[in-house]
Parts: sequence; structure tokens; C-alpha cells
Amino acid sequence: MTQVTDIPSLDAARALLAEFPVVDGHNDLPWALREQVRYDLDARDIAADQSAHLHTDLARLRAGGVGAQYWSVYVRSDLPGAVTATLEQIDCVRQLIERHPADLRAALTAADMEAARAEGRIASLMGAEGGHSIDNSLATLRGLYELGVRYMTLTHNDNIAWADSATDEPAVGGLSPFGHEVVREMNRLGMLVDLSHVAATTMRAALDTSTAPVIFSHSSARAVCDHPRNIPDDVLERLPANGGVAMVTFVPKFVLQAAVDWSAAAEENMRANGFHPLDSTAEAMKVHHAFEESHPRPVATVPTVADHLDHIREVAGVDHLGIGGDYDGTPFTPDGLGDVSGYPNLIAELLDRGWSKADLAKVTWQNSVRVLGAAEDVAREEQSRRGPSNATLEQLDG
Amino acid sequence: MADLQDELHTTAEVGAFEPLVVEAGAGDGHADEADAAGADLLPRAHALLAAHPVADGYSGLPWALRHLSWYDLEIGESAVDTDLPRLREGHVGALFWSLHLPEGLVGERAVGATLEQLDLVRTVVEAHPEGLRMAHSAAQVTDARNCGRVAVLPGPAGAAALDDSLGILRSLRALGLRVLTLSGASWAGVNGLTRFGEEVVREMNRVGVVADLSGASDATLRRALTISKAPVLCTRSAARALRPHPANLPDDLLAELGAAKGLCLVPLTAEQTGPSVRDVADHLDHVRDLAGPECVGLSGTYDSGAAHPRGLADASGYPRLVAELLGRGWSAADLALLTWGNVQRVLRTADFTARAAQVRREPSTASIAELDG
Repeated sequence: MTQVTDIPSLDAARALLAEFPVVDGHNDLPWALREQVRYDLDARDIAADQSAHLHTDLARLRAGGVGAQYWSVYVRSDLPGAVTATLEQIDCVRQLIERHPADLRAALTAADMEAARAEGRIASLMGAEGGHSIDNSLATLRGLYELGVRYMTLTHNDNIAWADSATDEPAVGGLSPFGHEVVREMNRLGMLVDLSHVAATTMRAALDTSTAPVIFSHSSARAVCDHPRNIPDDVLERLPANGGVAMVTFVPKFVLQAAVDWSAAAEENMRANGFHPLDSTAEAMKVHHAFEESHPRPVATVPTVADHLDHIREVAGVDHLGIGGDYDGTPFTPDGLGDVSGYPNLIAELLDRGWSKADLAKVTWQNSVRVLGAAEDVAREEQSRRGPSNATLEQLDG
Repeated sequence: MADLQDELHTTAEVGAFEPLVVEAGAGDGHADEADAAGADLLPRAHALLAAHPVADGYSGLPWALRHLSWYDLEIGESAVDTDLPRLREGHVGALFWSLHLPEGLVGERAVGATLEQLDLVRTVVEAHPEGLRMAHSAAQVTDARNCGRVAVLPGPAGAAALDDSLGILRSLRALGLRVLTLSGASWAGVNGLTRFGEEVVREMNRVGVVADLSGASDATLRRALTISKAPVLCTRSAARALRPHPANLPDDLLAELGAAKGLCLVPLTAEQTGPSVRDVADHLDHVRDLAGPECVGLSGTYDSGAAHPRGLADASGYPRLVAELLGRGWSAADLALLTWGNVQRVLRTADFTARAAQVRREPSTASIAELDG
């Protein structure tokens, strides 16, 4: 790992994180464990050093000052059986928490997050990545909530019947009527609406309907780097009124324009070789690495990511900023942010840029905890007004 | 095992009822006499059930409610067989709510439909806080009972609900699933359990999901009796010697079930047991004789589409059945086991087995492809 800042600010960053650790919005460890070892948790024991295989293990989470982690229970949207696979992902997270009681603590509420911080454990939350995980069923959505899932990204890379993705052709123009009902039911439950991955039209539609703060679990600023996965300024401007939080991601192909272009070429190469662009099997990775040999990969750095934080602070305000690394969900990472131990480098960079400690405490910890607590408050209110919705896609979207 | 002994001790204490039983012991004659004796014994049946309510092993209510746009179980609901006034009249203290799905729902659709059924169970229980309470363990069943609520236990679900994944078994358990029927999947067919099927049973033992073998093949039942560390249930099985229904158990299997301290819950359906209260009592006599008084229980099977014996059309009929059994000389202790004690014993033993197994075994990561090829 490249040391990008001088030692004094790094020490200050570590001191700050000791008090206000990072709430990270998105980590794909469960999917990596599924793909690499089919959930054989002994074969990838995160209590031991896994730097040869994973971005994530307990020692590096500790070194990175992580105090709360939304573990993604992502499943691919281009395969059948999403509900089944999501339940297996949830089972994996529950097993991880059970195996490492000294380091991880299951968290379902903002109060649980604070309790974990007080105990020095890492609050472990779950987020589902894509509405395909509920198979158009609000009862299944409630089942996921019951199992501990506290946010759902409305789409992944592909459209679903009731919501448009950022990386697919527009179909329903944001949210369909059923899509709005999903958002309302999430509000009623206290499950955060995650607008990473969705089309800008979907972001606006969800902000229109949601009575609770929304999150972007891993997205950066489109004005800094023009990629559809990032958040346009007009949406960022609505966050103060909504109360939500944009959790800035580090993925080079979203944060650095040169990497955006390089990545488009790399994905084209994967498809030409007969692989899904997100395929992370050994064979697919070989093809990917061969491309990288012949086409030097543009390197994002800590300052690249800090530029996004600067911009979002300008547009949305410091109360609406967070962090969502997307570790183990991306093959490449910026220099200085190579794995989950890298957060202190980012905080040091922001300290060097003159960010106050009070503001940084909001970015790392306070904003994200506030948002979950606010969603709980909204849920209590909504539940006093209405019962569970059993609306169906057929009823509402015809 | 201290808790188990407590439970048995409680049962023995109801010896106060014994003289009543002896007094009515000869009612085995003419039909009219038996009915008269039954009517005479009804107050005693009520008294006995008040102390030892019915733990009913099977209710099809969730699927029946799925198709009603509006219902109120608290006031009374004529569209279904089960509501709180009738549950109270029949002294039902605990109820297993079936999550079985119509035939043909398999794979991911079965998983999704099961999640929806579990959601419905949760919603219905939450909507009736005065009458119902969710229970996931023997202790919670007792708590619900002590609070005057009917304990609702989610299950049995069909084997298809697992979509061949132990991760899904654990997730469904986390959502409250307590019983799983070992039929309707490739790993639990006519030839018995495959290697993966056996691993499913071991994992069920580890997480405390009780195996239900009604409708399973004889080979599956025998294998499950051998490998399960916790007692098994047959949620809807009567005696095949009295009525040749495929889900009814032949005498040798009833004896094996009794030897393994499993539990045969006799369904109150005309098809499996016969058209009268006496027919049901004949089955209960037969099962008790072969399996033993600790291994027989009751399964209303209401709201499942089945026709019921006369006098047992809904959950309010249990006192009539208990009066008939009193007339046949069943002791109060045996009746307490029949209605309540046996189900509690099975749940509690399953809870203990799970706790012990979790110390010894990690969650299983076996897949059907690995074990069954």
C-alpha cells in the first residue's frame, strides 16, 4: 500500500477513527465467499490473514477503523433463483457473526450500532442489492427485513419490472406504481431505500415517494466523474430536505474518468471472450489480467476519491456524506485504498484538505447512524397508520 | 433433562382426576349408551382440557386465509373452521400452522411462496394480540399458555421449501419454521433418504426443526427414525390397520415410532379416521396400544379441505372427543399426555438436541450436488 500522506495526519486520522469509526455502506464479502469457496468459512477464515484472496478480514477491518459494516447479500440479477440465493447469502452473514462474536455484533437498529461501538465490536448489518431479491413480492420483502436486512438497493445492473437501473435502457421511466408501493412498504418497515445502481429517474421518483431518508450505499458524484452509477447534482441537492446520505464509493471505474473509459474497453474485452463482465472466476480473471497487461490501467488515488467527498460536501452538505467502499465487489481499488485497512489514508487526506474533526466524525459515523435511526422513527409512525401491504405487481402495473 | 422431568411431574399431579375416570370406565356398550356417557363426561372433559389444553398438530389456516380479502379471527370467522371463539371453546392451547404449498410449486417459487406464508402467519398473529402469540420453542409455548394466548408454531413446511439448500433451512428456521415434512423433494422419495437427505435431517437436529413424516415413504420414515437425534412427528397419521389410507401408519411402523419416542398425531378427518367421534377414538386407542401413551397426539387438520367426523367439524369439538376417551377408560394422565404433554416433550427435546448439537457441529455447507451427485 502506498503511503500517500505524511505521518502526523495519519496518526490524527487513526485517533479520529478510534472514536468515530467508519460505517461502510457496502462490502461484498458474502458473495466472494460464495464464489471462491462455496461458503466454506474455514477455507477463508476471516480471523486469519486473507489478503491473498480477499479485501476483507477482521485484522484489516480493525486496522481500517471500521466500526459498522453493511454486508451486502447481493446475488446476480441475470440468473434465476434470486430469492433462494439471497437467503443463502443472509445465512452466510449470520454464520460470520456467530463465528466471530468478539469482533462482530449483529445490528438491526441505530441503537445496536452505538452499542457495538461502545463495546468495540463491528456492528454487522445487511443490505440486499437489487429488487430482484424479492421477486415482486412485498411479503418476501418483509421476510428479508425479518431476517435482518436493513437496506435494499432498488436495482442492480439490470432493470427489474418496477424500477429502471442506471446501466440498462430506460423502461418504466423511474419507478412503476408497484415500485412506489415497494418504497412505501420499505418506509413502513424501516428498511432503508438504497439508490445506488438505479437510474437518475428512479432516484428522483424514490425521493418523491420516500418519507424516510434514503441512502446511496456506494455511489460517487457524477459532476466529478461522468458515470451513470454516480449521483447527479440535482439529486444531491435534494438530500438535505430528505435527510439521506451519499456513501462515496472507491471503485476506480466510477471515480476516475480515465478509468471509466478503460473499464468500458475492458468489459468489451470480457464479452468478446465470452465472459460476463462481472465474472470473478479464475478463468475470467485471467482474461481480465491479460487485458490489463497490454492496456495499462489508469490508477485512481486517495485524492481522486477525496475530490468526490469535497464535491458532495459542496452540493449536499457535510450532513449527507458517508463512505461505501464496495470492497470484495470490485477487482480494482485506488492506490492507498487497496483493502479495508485503507480508510485512515482517506481521512488523513481530508484532514490535510482542512476538513474539521467534527465534520469527519459526521462522515465516518454519525450521518449513517442518524439515517438508520430516522428510518426507524418513520417506520413506527407509518405502522401506526397502516398495516402491511399485499399489493401485487399485476394489480398496480397491470 | 431436568426440565423434562418437571414436565412429567406436572402430568402426574393431575391424579386428582383418576376417580372420575374409573367411575365411567364401563361405557363400552351400545351406541346410545356411549353417547349418553359422553354427554355425562363432558364437564369432566372440559375440566381436564382447562388444565391440559390441546396442542393441535396441523392447521391449514394460512393457505385458507390467503384467499380471503378480509377476516377477523377474534370476533369469529365463518369462512374458515378456525377462529378464536372456537379455539377457546375447544381448549386449544397451541396450534401448528401448516406452510404446505399446493403441488407443483417447486424450486425458487416454493421458497418465495413459503416466505409469503411465513409473512402471513406473522401478520395474522400480530393482528390478534389478544388471542394469538407466536412461539418458537417449548418454553415460549408455555409462556403463551400462561398468558392465556394460543401459541402459534409455524410449520410443517414441505421439503420443497428448501430448494435443496441447507442455507435456506437455516434462514427459514430464523424466520420461525419449526417443522418440516420429509416428502416432496428428490432427497426424500420412495427409496428413503439420500445422503443429502440424511444431512438435511442432521442439520434439522442442529437447528431444532422437527421432522414430520406424514406422507413420507415408509423407507424415509424408518431412516429418519434411525438417524434423527430428536424425536420425530407424524403430523397427520392414523392407524392403517383400521383404515387403509396411504398416510396412515401400519402397525409395525407405529411400534417403531413408539420405540423411538416419536409422536403420531391422529388427524380428525373422515377420510383417514372415519366419520364419527368413536372412529377417531378407535384410532387413538390403537395408536396408544402400539406406540404407547407418550407417543400419541391430536391433529385437527382443520382448514385443509378435508371432511371431518360428525361432532368434530371445527376446533370446538375437542371436549366431545376427550369425553369419549374418558368413557373408554383413558386415565387423566394419559389424556394430559395426549392433548398437551407429548407435543411439549417433543419440542423441548428438540430444543435440547439443538443446543447440544450446536456445541459439537458447525453449520453444514454440504450441497446436494456434492452428496447425491
